Amino acid sequence: MLKSKLTKMKIVKIIVLVLLVAFVGIQFVPTERNQSDVVPKTDFMLVNDVPKEIENKLQVSCYDCHSNNTAYPWYNKIQPVAWFMEDHIKKGKEELNFNEWADYSDRRKKSKLKSIISQIKDDEMPLSSYTLIHKDASFSEDDKKKVITWLTQLKDN
Amino acid sequence: MRKLKLSMGILAIVFATLTVASCKDAKKEQNNEEEHQSEMSTEENHSEMNHDNSDGHHDEEATHDNSDGHHDGDSAEMTSEARDIAVSTQKNGATSAIIDAYFQIKNALVTDSKENAAKGGTALLAAFSKFDMKTLTDGTRQEYMEIAESAKEQAEHIVENPIDHQREHFETLSTDINDLITLLGTDKTLYLDYCPMKKVSWLSETKDIKNPFYGSEMLTCGNVKKQIN
Repeated sequence: MLKSKLTKMKIVKIIVLVLLVAFVGIQFVPTERNQSDVVPKTDFMLVNDVPKEIENKLQVSCYDCHSNNTAYPWYNKIQPVAWFMEDHIKKGKEELNFNEWADYSDRRKKSKLKSIISQIKDDEMPLSSYTLIHKDASFSEDDKKKVITWLTQLKDN
Repeated sequence: MRKLKLSMGILAIVFATLTVASCKDAKKEQNNEEEHQSEMSTEENHSEMNHDNSDGHHDEEATHDNSDGHHDGDSAEMTSEARDIAVSTQKNGATSAIIDAYFQIKNALVTDSKENAAKGGTALLAAFSKFDMKTLTDGTRQEYMEIAESAKEQAEHIVENPIDHQREHFETLSTDINDLITLLGTDKTLYLDYCPMKKVSWLSETKDIKNPFYGSEMLTCGNVKKQIN
């Protein structure tokens, strides 16, 4: 009885050790970081006359994944969190990059604005997994109304 | 007791390597960032130069597109007058595959089928990739490319999203396909229908109204705005 208990303990120990080694190991895998100090001339805020309030909201809520510069939290240094974020940011930028706004054709700008509006309206963006940690990124009903009204105006002009 | 000490020791070592590793990483990262920054700034200069070029170009496009937007607005206002007026366009069979795939999506949405709409999206992507751009004149190529870029993006979203999302992208897609027909023409007889609830248009191959934006909910809601060919 005692013996089998001991071997069981050993097995558990080995498993924990393997997991620890794996965890340490993946810390060495490099990830691409989405950071840039330069705001390109084509940025949404530079080519549009955006009211301060709207600009702040969009910067805080959208720019982490939809621009070339992410304000990373400290835990992004730890894998596998960094991988998860890298993937999100890559997809986000593919879909919409506010930094490249002026490079979009007018047709594309219109369809992007339409999608931005409907995503915010339906609470699909910002992602709930994101607002869970970034409380300030979520939209209050008042924020939603203001941002959507302004974006709709921009779209229809 | 000895075993406990041993495992404590192992844990300590693991933590030590971890902190060392992350410190190293951080340092490396800093270096990287610095390098990256200088790289970025040279790149930036580069791209700025390019931008200037493309900017000039864009202005041209912008005015072009604006006039289009204007046109759209006009035709919406003219709905009542334009009704029952047949408009003939250039007879062009090259756009048929694209239009057929568009109808595949439309008819799937009419029957509330997400799966078939997704299949239609795939078919539309294929039709665009098969389209022979060599047949385009220099004047139409740029606009075609913008329309195709947008339409393909809508199609990709239609392939992978739930039906309410598909319908949203179908709205934009309808504008794109309508503009494509205005630009290049078709040899099909088509109907431009209007949904007063959504305030958007869609194209149909049949004269009967079958509304793709609401499906079975409001199947016959809408009217024919114009007949093409």
